[in-house]
Amino acid sequence: MNETDNNNFDDELMAAAAELATEVTPDRDLWPGIEQALPHPGRPARTVWNSTWAQAAAVLLLVGGSSGVTYLAITEDLSPLPPVAGGPTLVFEPVSGSFGSMYNLGPDYQDARRSLVATVDEELGRLTAEERNEVQKNIDVIRAAIEEINKALAAEPDNALLQKLLLSTYRDELGLMMRVDKITSAAMRRGDI
Amino acid sequence: MAALLTATAAAAGYEAVPVTAESTTEEHGWIRKAQTADSAAFGSLYRMHVDRVYGLCLRMTGNVAEAEDCTQDAFIQAWSKLNNFRGESAFSTWLHRVAVNTVLGRMRKSRREQDRIRAVSDVLPAPETIGDSGGLRDLEQAIDELPSGARHVFVLHAVYGYSHDETSDMLGIAAGTSKAQLHRARRLLAQQLKTECA
Repeated sequence: MNETDNNNFDDELMAAAAELATEVTPDRDLWPGIEQALPHPGRPARTVWNSTWAQAAAVLLLVGGSSGVTYLAITEDLSPLPPVAGGPTLVFEPVSGSFGSMYNLGPDYQDARRSLVATVDEELGRLTAEERNEVQKNIDVIRAAIEEINKALAAEPDNALLQKLLLSTYRDELGLMMRVDKITSAAMRRGDI
Repeated sequence: MAALLTATAAAAGYEAVPVTAESTTEEHGWIRKAQTADSAAFGSLYRMHVDRVYGLCLRMTGNVAEAEDCTQDAFIQAWSKLNNFRGESAFSTWLHRVAVNTVLGRMRKSRREQDRIRAVSDVLPAPETIGDSGGLRDLEQAIDELPSGARHVFVLHAVYGYSHDETSDMLGIAAGTSKAQLHRARRLLAQQLKTECA
């Protein structure tokens, strides 16, 4: 290839580069994350969610939650026969099922969760006040973790670590509900004897 | 070129915002309001410029997730520096400068450039084929595979039309380095595109 050919190719290359699109629309709306991070007068400045702190907070909350769940499981067999009803009703609130911009909790999970929530709502009435308080504490811990992780995910929707952490927290929530169901079922069996 | 860009924009599923005298006046109003901490006005500026800023970030980083982060950071930086904008250049140029600084700052902090979750060519609009030098998609991909220094210069100079002085100023390099990087980029692109054609 001679110099003329090279020059022609260069000219074509630069002309083609100038034709490339200079505007590309992002796949997702980036404004909510920006707006949340804008510092305003009279309001403390916030940077985009510091995922490290969010993750650390979530891990601490989860460790606390897991300890509570473990306590609940260990004391399961020592529980006295539960009085039926009494005390305020615990309600499992629906949670966000989103996982960043790319994933969502599947319909099977949502169905299983709805079914379990309905069962657990009925079964909670059979627990003692102490057990109910313990369950409430664990629910609070897990819900707080879910909320923290969701906040972090709002700023970093595609953070794989946060997505995994959120999935794990949803699993913990399911695990807690299943344990409540198991405890009350065991209590019912003992009561039936 | 305008027809090609319009067709490309339509293919990408967004509507280009034409820059008219009216929109420029509107933009000045939003800038003034945003400078008084009016986030709604800043939101209007965001909507007006996000596609161009994101396009720049995407071409410079070659990574969708990183480009999204850079775009968000760039607008946050722009908000905090908005009172420094005196109108000596077009707002879009000033914003581009902020975006370039953001990209470079993030790249210096992390070495995630190799961590490409999705190739740029997967998300950029499908272009039409021109001439006999291969399709624009080939060129997109070839640009994406350039070393970062050459890619940054090529994107700013050849794609966005900045002069060597502007490009070198934005990137914090000498004008001679900008020219050398452009030469390198052209050589590498020529090699790659000619190989593909062959």
